[in-house]
Amino acid sequence: MNQSNGKIGIREYVALVILIIGTKLADNTPAILYEKMDNAAWMSPIIIGISSVIPIYFLLKVLSLYPDKGLMDVFKHLCGKYIGYLIVLVLWLIGSFAIIIDSAIYTDIIGTMYFTKTPTLILYLVLMGVSAYGAKKGLEQIGSVALSVIFYIKITLFVALILSFKQGNINYLFPILGQGHWDILKESSLKLSLFGEFLYLGIIASNIKSFKYYRKGTWISLIILTIELPVAIASFLILYDYEPLKLVNYPFHETIRYLSLGFLTNIETFFFPFWLISAFVRFSLYLYLSGMMFGWLFKIKNFEYVIPSLATLFVFLGMIPETPTFQIYHLRDNLLTLITPFYFFLPILLWVIAKLKGETKNDKSDR
Amino acid sequence: MFKKRINKLMDKMKMDEQYSEQSSLKDINLKEQFIDSSLEKNMETFQFIYSIPTNTDVKIRSFKMGGFPKKVAILYISSIIDTKIIEDNVIKALQQNNDPSSKIENIISAESVTILQKIEDILKVINKGNAALFVDGEAEAYLIGAANFQGRSIEKPENEVSLKGPKEGFNEKAMTNISLIRKKIKNENLVVEATTISKRSKNELYILYIKDIVNNELLQNVKEKINSFDIDSIQNLSVLEQLIDERPKSLFPTILYTERPDRASHYLEDGFIVLLMENSPGSLVLPATFWSFYHSSDDRYLRFLYGNFTRFIRILALFITLFTSAIYVAVTNFHAEMVPPDLLLAISANREKVPFPSFIEVLMMETAFELIREAGLRVPNPIGPTIGIVGALILGQAAVQANIVSPIVVIVVALGGLSSFAVGDVSMNFAIRLSRFFIIVSSGLFGIYGMTAIFTMALFYIVSLKSFGVPYLAPMTPRYISSQDTIFRKIIKNENFRPGYLQPKDIEKKAGDTK
Repeated sequence: MNQSNGKIGIREYVALVILIIGTKLADNTPAILYEKMDNAAWMSPIIIGISSVIPIYFLLKVLSLYPDKGLMDVFKHLCGKYIGYLIVLVLWLIGSFAIIIDSAIYTDIIGTMYFTKTPTLILYLVLMGVSAYGAKKGLEQIGSVALSVIFYIKITLFVALILSFKQGNINYLFPILGQGHWDILKESSLKLSLFGEFLYLGIIASNIKSFKYYRKGTWISLIILTIELPVAIASFLILYDYEPLKLVNYPFHETIRYLSLGFLTNIETFFFPFWLISAFVRFSLYLYLSGMMFGWLFKIKNFEYVIPSLATLFVFLGMIPETPTFQIYHLRDNLLTLITPFYFFLPILLWVIAKLKGETKNDKSDR
Repeated sequence: MFKKRINKLMDKMKMDEQYSEQSSLKDINLKEQFIDSSLEKNMETFQFIYSIPTNTDVKIRSFKMGGFPKKVAILYISSIIDTKIIEDNVIKALQQNNDPSSKIENIISAESVTILQKIEDILKVINKGNAALFVDGEAEAYLIGAANFQGRSIEKPENEVSLKGPKEGFNEKAMTNISLIRKKIKNENLVVEATTISKRSKNELYILYIKDIVNNELLQNVKEKINSFDIDSIQNLSVLEQLIDERPKSLFPTILYTERPDRASHYLEDGFIVLLMENSPGSLVLPATFWSFYHSSDDRYLRFLYGNFTRFIRILALFITLFTSAIYVAVTNFHAEMVPPDLLLAISANREKVPFPSFIEVLMMETAFELIREAGLRVPNPIGPTIGIVGALILGQAAVQANIVSPIVVIVVALGGLSSFAVGDVSMNFAIRLSRFFIIVSSGLFGIYGMTAIFTMALFYIVSLKSFGVPYLAPMTPRYISSQDTIFRKIIKNENFRPGYLQPKDIEKKAGDTK
């Protein structure tokens, strides 16, 4: 009796998406947003979320034409053997770069905020070791873990939010538009790739029990994230005001240090494990996706075995920047801007090619 | 695969070097023959096989039949047979017979009479507690069922205590156990299949399932697994459990062992398969998920709120067992700031005189606790209380006074130890106690970071486990249609479905005509 076929259900998928994108509120993403947009930065996830509807719509439309194919095969099918390969290669390189930078940031968070005396390499190895272990277990397992922990992670986040709203000053939200609506729009559209994972998640579209689930799950998680991220980012503003916030690299971690609950004055260690679990799940999925692309590129069928090696490579690459707190901050800032056009235009481009090739006529799923 | 082959080869080489086996080809050949029509010759054969008269409890009684003068002999193992039946219903009946035309099977009044010719088959049946009747001039034996194995009567289950549930537990007689289950499921679809699973001891295994519910593929899968052993003897279910386990080295159990017939029947009705064996005061339920180890039968017998309260206490206890000691180690070594200052001062004042780091201190106490536990289990009953006193006084109070450990460690370890008893299942209990040590070590290395890391890894490991194809955390994740009986349970009225991960033939628990 083979009960599972390596495919995940809609619950697992939504849990995964919310975890991997939602965790961004707890790294240096808010800091990057506040840097340019001052006190209106909390609005930018809303704008990003709304504008993401366009690429996601086209991505879903294209993928719905080939419900059995992953994103990579769609590239190959639509753009031809060589260009398709090239695009996937570029996507893999960008993805790997993002993993390196993100994991370096997370290690830096653990190192600077919690374990100041432990060597960075050890922290990094543990982070990537656990994630690689998870990634090697497979998508099903990552999804199951995400689903079984997301409830508790979000509860702790909710508690943190309530506490910070209670201890903060709501007036810091004003002037509500910060430096003006034009700035918000411009800066937000540059950081559109905040939701860039949606593009990469197309890779596992065929690993979800049905395409309908994939479509539904994607929209559900987009809506949840578009609500969750602004609220969380606004909570930092309410607690600190935007000028001090610009000096803070990891607002979430500063916030949970700042908060107190009754007789407990330092409660960050209650939140830390939950944040960590979400980080582990996030990098597990990242490594899995990266491994999957790598396997596709180099025709490795059992790509799970590549993941540990990839993870090791990422650790060493991530160790290169000497002052990660500042270096990687700028690298990530630029990376987010760099991925944006890919994220926005690639799905549209795909759809246009499909349209030109006349493939959209075969589309039965929409009718 | 390759490793296995090499191991086999090595075993063989070792065997050849040190030990030359005696060939029993002669015996085997003998047993494959059919019996003779001469009673004398048959008796000689069986005397040889059973080593009579060295073998004291194998008896042969020869006499002349009434009615027509034929010599008969009856052979049985007196220790496993009801001799009264043999005496009254067989010997007496045969001697007092005076109708020359009546057939043997009509004269004997016993539970069952079978006729066999092959020596091997006859032996098998005799060893199960039948008497063999040989008649001079006939090349067949009459096997009379009169088994009477000695054993315990039905008693309360010892390891799975219930407040409101039935108090009967399985005992060592398979027939009694089957009867206990039949008493609960009075349905013709309940099938009790018997197979012999070992080659020398001929241990019998009973596979129980409900024909119109169980998934055929699962059943086939289980049967294949069971028939795949090449082994001399499987004494009982605990051994079998390890043999059919897909991951024998895994930390977590994947087959449920229960000694409560009511639990076994409940699982049967849900489409699970139950295994019973002679000599095992319990049953195996497969496939098993994490939840089957976490649940206890009382959760269902208590009212909705009370039952779920017990569940809550149990999951709390589970986490306390896993994490209290580790959190103590982590907090004192890495995260001292999270403790309120007053408490922190109290802890450090207590720890001042203790020469060991808190990690060693906790490990010492944990080991001591495990020692008390193991010793308490093995100690003969009359001196049991002594162990309690020694444990509590020496290891608790005296250790604190001698400044070997600080009082708070005693509290922490005792709390964890106490909580570990809330998870009733023996296997799961071990799994949790063992994983606690992993977590303590990792928290000693990396504080909360290490704990979380190992916890996440454990979670990944758990979700990757499968028991006969069923994911370990089903139906929570991956999701299946079911009554959602996981951490908490629903009101019994709302439990509409059998677990979907078993793919039962009938998923709905209702008769369906009341709608």
